[in-house]
Amino acid sequence: MSPQAKKQENKILILATETCAYPGADSVGQAHSTYPANTYILRVRAPVLFPESFYFDCFKKGISGIIVMSCGEECPYEGAFTAMAKRLDGVYKKMKAMELDLKRLRLTAICTVCNRSFLNEVNQMDKLVRELGPPIFKK
Amino acid sequence: MTEKNTDNKKVGVYICYCGGNISDHVDVEEVKKRAEKMPNVVVARTNMFMCSDPGQELIINDLKSGKIDRVVVASCAPSLHEATFRDAIKRAGSNPFIYEHANIREQVSWVHHGEPATDKATILIASAAAKANLLTPLDPIRVEAKKHTTVIGGGIAGIKTAIDIAQTGINVALIEKSSLLGGQLNNLDKLAPSGEKASEVLQELLDQILTHKSITIHTDCEIEAVQGYVGNFSLSISKKSDNKIEKLNIETGAIVMATGAIPYIPFDGEFGFGQHEQVITLQNLIQILKNNKSTGSILEVNGKRIRNIVMIHCVGSRQIPGIHQPKEDGKLNEYCSRTCCAAMLNASNQIKENFPATRIYEMYRDIRTYGRGQEELYTQASANKVVFMRYEANAQPEVSLTRDSDYPFQVKVKDSLTFNEEMDVPADLVVLATGIEPDDVSGLASMMKLPIGTDKFLLEVHPKLRPVEFPITGIFLAGTCQAPMDVGEACNAAGAAAVKASALLRKGFIELDPFVAEVNPNKCQGHGACIEACLKEGALTLVEVDIDGKTVKRAQVTAAMCLGCGACAAVCPEKAIDINGWALKQYEDMVDAIVSDGFAV
Repeated sequence: MSPQAKKQENKILILATETCAYPGADSVGQAHSTYPANTYILRVRAPVLFPESFYFDCFKKGISGIIVMSCGEECPYEGAFTAMAKRLDGVYKKMKAMELDLKRLRLTAICTVCNRSFLNEVNQMDKLVRELGPPIFKK
Repeated sequence: MTEKNTDNKKVGVYICYCGGNISDHVDVEEVKKRAEKMPNVVVARTNMFMCSDPGQELIINDLKSGKIDRVVVASCAPSLHEATFRDAIKRAGSNPFIYEHANIREQVSWVHHGEPATDKATILIASAAAKANLLTPLDPIRVEAKKHTTVIGGGIAGIKTAIDIAQTGINVALIEKSSLLGGQLNNLDKLAPSGEKASEVLQELLDQILTHKSITIHTDCEIEAVQGYVGNFSLSISKKSDNKIEKLNIETGAIVMATGAIPYIPFDGEFGFGQHEQVITLQNLIQILKNNKSTGSILEVNGKRIRNIVMIHCVGSRQIPGIHQPKEDGKLNEYCSRTCCAAMLNASNQIKENFPATRIYEMYRDIRTYGRGQEELYTQASANKVVFMRYEANAQPEVSLTRDSDYPFQVKVKDSLTFNEEMDVPADLVVLATGIEPDDVSGLASMMKLPIGTDKFLLEVHPKLRPVEFPITGIFLAGTCQAPMDVGEACNAAGAAAVKASALLRKGFIELDPFVAEVNPNKCQGHGACIEACLKEGALTLVEVDIDGKTVKRAQVTAAMCLGCGACAAVCPEKAIDINGWALKQYEDMVDAIVSDGFAV
């Protein structure tokens, strides 16, 4: 690792849909509203792409919190949101069994101009991961 | 520098300063140094504006010389310049899909500052480079497109858009909610600054549109539903005719929003409006001048001689929280309506030139005669002896009734041009320079998922780079639904939207991004889980194939039908199906780059 870059704790991964939440995050940027820098936004077409294992792999790799910023019911891929939400139910069940705090994974809908909701979600997750620290797998 | 695996791709990283937008908060040269050490990155370069020709040349030269075979540009949001850089790669003779974008302006320098911004930019670039390493060349998907456009709104912008599109050989349906074409142009008279009659301009366009064989006009229509996608939209419309409601369905390739704007109506009592008939709006004054038959040297309105007119600028525009009264929804019009200064001066000049004995006092905050020929209106008004008085936003003119004077009103103003001297100006007529407000198209906007700005006007993708496009491919906008514009500007926007729509549909097909599912035949075992998960019926099927003399089942994708959502990729136990350009494995490597702080992937 480069000596210039400090190891950052409590990283938050944000899966942001390209039609809603990702431009929503850009809109927050256009408004020059600051939020914590431990947030990493991945542009996704639809989060239904990610299998259950992806979320656990992320936590195992050291990601402290994941926010799925979807288009919600306005998802351009009909049925994708429901399928993804169902999958996350399965993830939550396994997280519970693993004694991982369920709040580390958050499903939300963010539109292209939902600046306030975006900031609210990010700040809440940041507060949470600072309290909880990185995930520890007990089971 | 550590030795790099030669089997891997050669990634070039190009980091933009964005003229300080990025480099004011991100140490771009430090990020470049760090990028050079990232796995598979063979070159990292910086430029003041990577989107400029010299910036793009850096990428083109490196590709042509064979130094790199994958490209990462770290700059503004991908919505602005992803296409620019893909085009540059194409011009270098390479496949445009070997490209990944790192968003270090909207999602870094504009929201974070100092060292955390530099570190985050580094990590986002490392993550993009990790994805670029797995990108493969792709071919676009062809979608058949209807050579037909629907223009919503029959004002000047809509009419001009329809004519311009039709002239390129594409059929047009023009939808208007009222029974009359022409919109606000019907309410105008002599247009600033040229003095042309609005009715003549409109008639010229009506002559063209009403006789054009490629244009179908539907008046008295409401749009009930909009479905489909670029090249293949479907509009359900209800049309009122003879007390009957008729249902129409229009299949169209593109849509242009030209829904227009409406004049601001002052609230009851705003400068005496609604309480005294001699307090009128700019739109009322235009109507008066249009129909005026006064013959003497003084203007007469409703038989009354108008000796003094006080004109108050910026009514309903440039409103300031705490000073101006918000509407019921709590909103203020904080924008400048732009067109009212020139329109007021135009009216003043008409009055002074025809009725020189009528005196005019213009009370303004700022005179914004921004367009060609408009400043001359101001000079002309000064020469015509129009008296200008300047008020501050927090000291608005006060209109009150008089008892003892022979003028019905007096207008009190603190004139900053005479060092805040308080003046009482007697007036027979008070004219309010009421601005422009967007028409409420929230229903249509939500139907089509179109963005609306905080000022309630429809919001384009980018005010300078993509001024007539929405984020939804195939939907455009023109005219005052976007912002206050004069007739010339609305026609400019209409011409631009028409060209965009025509260029899109011209070939009869559209090439879409090739981001669809692809099956790896070596891994697929024919379980069929992907077919169960698929959201688009018919996009994925199990077909029988012959492998080593045995007939087995394998998944097969119909590319034109595939949505590219990835529902299939999540459920394949063999990981044999993935989305081209947005693969699960690419995301896994991006996460690896993030957790390792951009290094040691």
